[in-house]
Amino acid sequence: MNPLELTLGIMTAVGGFVDISELVFAAKAGSKFGYALIWVFALATLGIIIFSEMSGRVAAVAKQPVFNLMRHRLGLKLGLLTLAASIVSNLITCAAEIGGVSLILNYLTGAPYVLMAIGMTAVFVTSIWVLPFQWIERVYGLLGLFMIVFAAALVAIRPPWNQIGGGFVPQVPAGLTNKELLTFGYFTVAIISAVMFPYEVYFYSSGGIEEGWGPKDMLTNRLTSVLGMALGSLLAISILASSAQLFGPVNVDPEIPGSAALEAAIPFGKWGLILALLGMLFAVAGAAVETCMANAYSISQFFGWVWGRHKKPWEAPRFTITWIILFLLALAIVLTGVDVMMLVEFAVLFSILVLPLTYLPLLVLAGDKTYMREYANGPIAKVLGWLYFAIITGAAIAAVPLFVLTSGGNG
Amino acid sequence: MTPDGPIKLVSQLLDLPLLDSEGKYCGIVDDVELRGRPGQDVQLRALIVGPSAYKGRLPGWCMWLVKKVAGARETRVSMEDVRTISSVVHLKRPGPELGLNKSENAARRWLPNKGAL
Repeated sequence: MNPLELTLGIMTAVGGFVDISELVFAAKAGSKFGYALIWVFALATLGIIIFSEMSGRVAAVAKQPVFNLMRHRLGLKLGLLTLAASIVSNLITCAAEIGGVSLILNYLTGAPYVLMAIGMTAVFVTSIWVLPFQWIERVYGLLGLFMIVFAAALVAIRPPWNQIGGGFVPQVPAGLTNKELLTFGYFTVAIISAVMFPYEVYFYSSGGIEEGWGPKDMLTNRLTSVLGMALGSLLAISILASSAQLFGPVNVDPEIPGSAALEAAIPFGKWGLILALLGMLFAVAGAAVETCMANAYSISQFFGWVWGRHKKPWEAPRFTITWIILFLLALAIVLTGVDVMMLVEFAVLFSILVLPLTYLPLLVLAGDKTYMREYANGPIAKVLGWLYFAIITGAAIAAVPLFVLTSGGNG
Repeated sequence: MTPDGPIKLVSQLLDLPLLDSEGKYCGIVDDVELRGRPGQDVQLRALIVGPSAYKGRLPGWCMWLVKKVAGARETRVSMEDVRTISSVVHLKRPGPELGLNKSENAARRWLPNKGAL
C-alpha cells in the first residue's frame, strides 16, 4: 500500500462526498430543526461506508461491478426495471448537479445561468475525454477540498458544541405539530437518500475495477471508505450546524445553494465566501461527472459492453457515446428552465426508491463464499448490511407519501 | 467451474458477463441452447448473446422497445469456446473471432481516435 496513493484516495473521497442535494438538505435541515437531524447524517454515513466497502471488496475479489451482479442476481426483468429507474434517478441527479454548478458560477461571475450550463457541460465532456480516470477523480475531488472552509467557519462562530454532540443521539424534537413531524420525517428520508445516493456505489465499485484492485487492496478499500466518507460527512454536518446557529434563530430558510456559502462569509468575509463557493463549485462539478459516469457504467455493465475510462474513449465506443448522450440529456433538462431545487427534490425522491434494489444484490454477493471466499461478509458486516437494507427499504416505502404530504418538505 | 461439468443454468450461468481471451467484455449470457430429450441428460450446446435472445424472457411490448433501442442481433457461442465459468464466463478466443463485439466496432466509427491522454 502506497501511503501517498492512500492519502490522495482518502482526500479525493472527502472532497467528493458533498453534492448539491447534501448541500441543500444540510442547510435547510439545520435552519428548520436545529441540530436534531445530525444523527441522520451520521446514520446514513455509516450506511454508505458499509455498502461502499462491500462494493469495493466485491470489485477487488469477484472483479464484478454492481450492475453485472444486479442482472445476474435479480434476473433480466427486475434487473431492467432497476436499470431504468436508476438511469432516471442518475439523470435527474446529474441535471441537478449541472444546474447547481451553473448557479454557483452565476454567483461567482455574474454570467448568465444558461450559458454557464452549456459551458460547464462542454468542460465536463472535454475533461472526461482528455484526462485519464485517476486524474478525473482527483482533479474534482481534491479541488472540492475547498469545502473545508465550512468546517473552519463552524469552529470560528463558536457553536454550542454540547448541543452539536447531542445531535448525534437519535431523536425527534419535542413539541412539533403533526405537520412539522411529517416534515421532520421527510427530511430524515431525504438525508438518507442524499448521503446514500446509488451513483456513489456504482462509481466507487467501477472505479475499483478500473484501478485494477485485487485482494491486496482490501485495506486501501476499507480506509478509503471509512475515513473518506466519515470526514466528508463531517463537512456536511458542519454546514448543518452552522445553519442551525446562524440561520435558524433569524428564520432564514436557505432555499438556494448560495445561502450555504454565507455560512463561511459571516466569520471570514469576502475570502470565506469565495472559498466556500469554489469548494461548492468543484464538489458539485465532481458529483455531476460521477453521476453521468455512473449511469454510463450501469448501462454498459448491464449489457456487457466494453466499458471504462482506463481505456481511450474510442476503445470503449458504446460506453463513450453513452456518457456523452447522458450529459446532453442532463443539459437538455436544465435548459428547459426547470428549477434546480425541484430537480434536487426529484433526484432525492427517485434515488431512495432505487436504493433497495441497488443494495440487495450487492449484499447477497458480498456474503456468497463461492465467489468471495475468505473475503465474504463476516457476522458484523452481515448484521449491519441487512439492518441498513431494512432501513432503506422503510425509507423507500415512506418517501412518496411524505413527499406528497409535505409538498417536498415545504410544509 | 469447467464447461463440461454440471452447471446450474440460472444461478451459475444465465446473465453472466462474457470476457474474451484478451480480457475484453463482449456481451452477457442472454440465453442458452440445450440438446436432449425427455428422459435423457440435457446437454448445454451454446450460449446465446444479443438482445434478440431476450425473447421469452420479457413481455412482448418490452421486446419491441428493446429491438428499437438495441437492435435484433443474436450471436451463438459454442460451449467449445468457453474456457471457465466463475463470476464471469471466460472465452478461449477473442470476441471478434466469435462474431461478438460487432456493434462495438460499428460504434467506433462515430468517434475521433485522438485527444485523450
